[in-house]
Amino acid sequence: MSSEVLTDAINGLAAIILLTSIVLVASKRMRSLVRTFMIQSLALGMFAAVVAYYTGADHIYIVAVLTIALKVFVIPYFLEYTIDKIHVKKEIEPLVGIPMSLLICAGLAFVGYYVSEPIIASGDAITKNCFAISLAVVLIGLFLMISRRKAMTEVIAILVIENGIFLGAISITYGMPLIVEIGVFFDVLVAALIMGIFAYKINRTFETLDTTFMRRLRD
Amino acid sequence: MLIELLILMPLLLALLFYFLNGRHWVEMLTVVASFASFIIAIMIGVDVAGNGPISYWLWYIDSLSVFMLGIITFVSLIVSVYSVSYIGHDYSEREIGISQVKMYYILLQLFIMSMLVVVMSNNLGVMWIAIEGTTLASTFLVGFYEKDTSLEAAWKYIIICSVGIALALFGTVLTYASSIEVLGESSDALNWTTLRDIAPLLDPTFLKIAFIFIVVGYGTKVGLVPMHTWLPDAHSQAPSPISALMSGVLLNCAFYGIIRFFIITEIRVPGFAPDIMLIFGLLSLIVAASFIMIAKDFKRLLAYSSIEHMGIVCLGFGLGGFLGIFGALFHMLNHSLTKCMMFIGAGNILQKFNTRAIDEVKGVATVMPITGAVFLLGALAITGSPPFGAFLSEVIIMQAGINSGSYLIVALYIALLVIVFAGFMYHVTKMVFGNPTEGVSKGEIHKFSLVPMLVLLVMVLVIGVFMPAELTDFLEDVARIVPGGSP
Repeated sequence: MSSEVLTDAINGLAAIILLTSIVLVASKRMRSLVRTFMIQSLALGMFAAVVAYYTGADHIYIVAVLTIALKVFVIPYFLEYTIDKIHVKKEIEPLVGIPMSLLICAGLAFVGYYVSEPIIASGDAITKNCFAISLAVVLIGLFLMISRRKAMTEVIAILVIENGIFLGAISITYGMPLIVEIGVFFDVLVAALIMGIFAYKINRTFETLDTTFMRRLRD
Repeated sequence: MLIELLILMPLLLALLFYFLNGRHWVEMLTVVASFASFIIAIMIGVDVAGNGPISYWLWYIDSLSVFMLGIITFVSLIVSVYSVSYIGHDYSEREIGISQVKMYYILLQLFIMSMLVVVMSNNLGVMWIAIEGTTLASTFLVGFYEKDTSLEAAWKYIIICSVGIALALFGTVLTYASSIEVLGESSDALNWTTLRDIAPLLDPTFLKIAFIFIVVGYGTKVGLVPMHTWLPDAHSQAPSPISALMSGVLLNCAFYGIIRFFIITEIRVPGFAPDIMLIFGLLSLIVAASFIMIAKDFKRLLAYSSIEHMGIVCLGFGLGGFLGIFGALFHMLNHSLTKCMMFIGAGNILQKFNTRAIDEVKGVATVMPITGAVFLLGALAITGSPPFGAFLSEVIIMQAGINSGSYLIVALYIALLVIVFAGFMYHVTKMVFGNPTEGVSKGEIHKFSLVPMLVLLVMVLVIGVFMPAELTDFLEDVARIVPGGSP
């Protein structure tokens, strides 16, 4: 493959990652949230694989395989299992309306590009454009975290933030040392499991997953 | 060899506890193992003092790591002994079952293990993994009682800290990126020692942005304002031994992460990192002082006091110079010992009065004379009154501020310390004196819990009155690692 095709593929996949995070913000149902997250993770895994092919850095292939295995299969499967088990009401109930949310996301994408301008200018790696997208995805993840009420959406938001950071890590550094990557994956997996268990316990105790009911601890 | 032993021991114990059934065996092994860890930490410390930093594979241990190791293993020992009393009481009151007791000790070991990895790893990525590991291991401990309030605290804890830690990962990635043009994609480019050696060549733009992400990220776990909101909830809802461990050790561990990045940033772009530390330090002091004034729950009072003290440590690093850094390190030690003692006292009061509300606790001195006395002395110690250790370190940091000519900051610092003292003593004297709340029987809750409390009291007194020359020499040695920390 010529390098032009590869560059197109890299940019295209990064664009899919950004678009899916905006779709996540627009999702009204829990299940479509998990599905969209799966697509985003698949795009991230493929992104890693293309970067690995382009740079010849073998250890990024392992990152790609781990991303797809954990974030496309294991974690979404576990989240869907939890959602099924607690018979949660499937609607998301955003605190900020969806049209407004989308506008804010567009603004956040601009912020990502604006902030990363000086960093992109100084570098030469072909993936550096993706750094702006990774910042935008992290910001959108943070917005998703604060604007949705269900405990499960908070879990997805953290996973989206982590996807954004992985995109950034691959695009500006071609991936971190392998031992670190594996450790990070392990932590993400365990964190998702623990959060799932707590979502279950919260639902059992409060009879809802709505975190706005958790207001007992205050000064 | 000793390093691996120190890390494998808690891991193996956790596994063993899973299969073990007797409560007394688990308790005894916990105490014996934490004592052994303390001895091993001292042996490592002697080795480092004699032969210089140890560095191989993933590990790097210099005197800063030894300092943290000492705090972690010692406070863990104290907490292990206290856990026997505290968890034993809950078990005999039938608040928790045997499986929960076992889970407590298993998670305690994993929690301690991940903190040990934090301070011994050379690789900044591994350090990140371990700090996230401390959150994962302690979440179930925060939500241990499975009540609505403890679940709320645990949920806030894991969500807020995970987001914070994710930002710290971003900072770590950016630091790694700043080294790529110098080192290429070598696998040891995330090693702290490598980064320190090539620090003058790193990309300053990346490094500055990275440091901000690191302070916000790890600062979430340190409890710096405005990322502190999980801290009072988690500290008040966790079982008291865990509160002591979190406040006395976990906050220091996260701070240790910031210090490592602080050193690298300070070598490349001097003056940038201290300014950020000053801002967060002052902000934490101001907010903590206001919440201490209006506290209604005595465990939350102690939690806000932890935020205040982390603010003081930040201020020490921000003011810089030998005195600032020496004072900040010394203050970390004093805070750990004193706060651990206070949380043990608070645990005894909580189990006796069955409430966390300050208004409902009266006459601790009459009901539990020793706990009451230690709690009162502890309150004096933690607010920085002479002759306790925290007084010395707070004065040293003040002197650092005067030396650097930041009179406005010093004035603000003193005013806030006075406010904290007034607020704290107002609440504590109300609790300790007066006629006991009705329906509370006299007598100490558990004689065994007095031992760790008195040991800590003697230690903060000895440090405050005599300030052993060995400790001063050692802390000077640690301060030398930080740029500008040479006397």
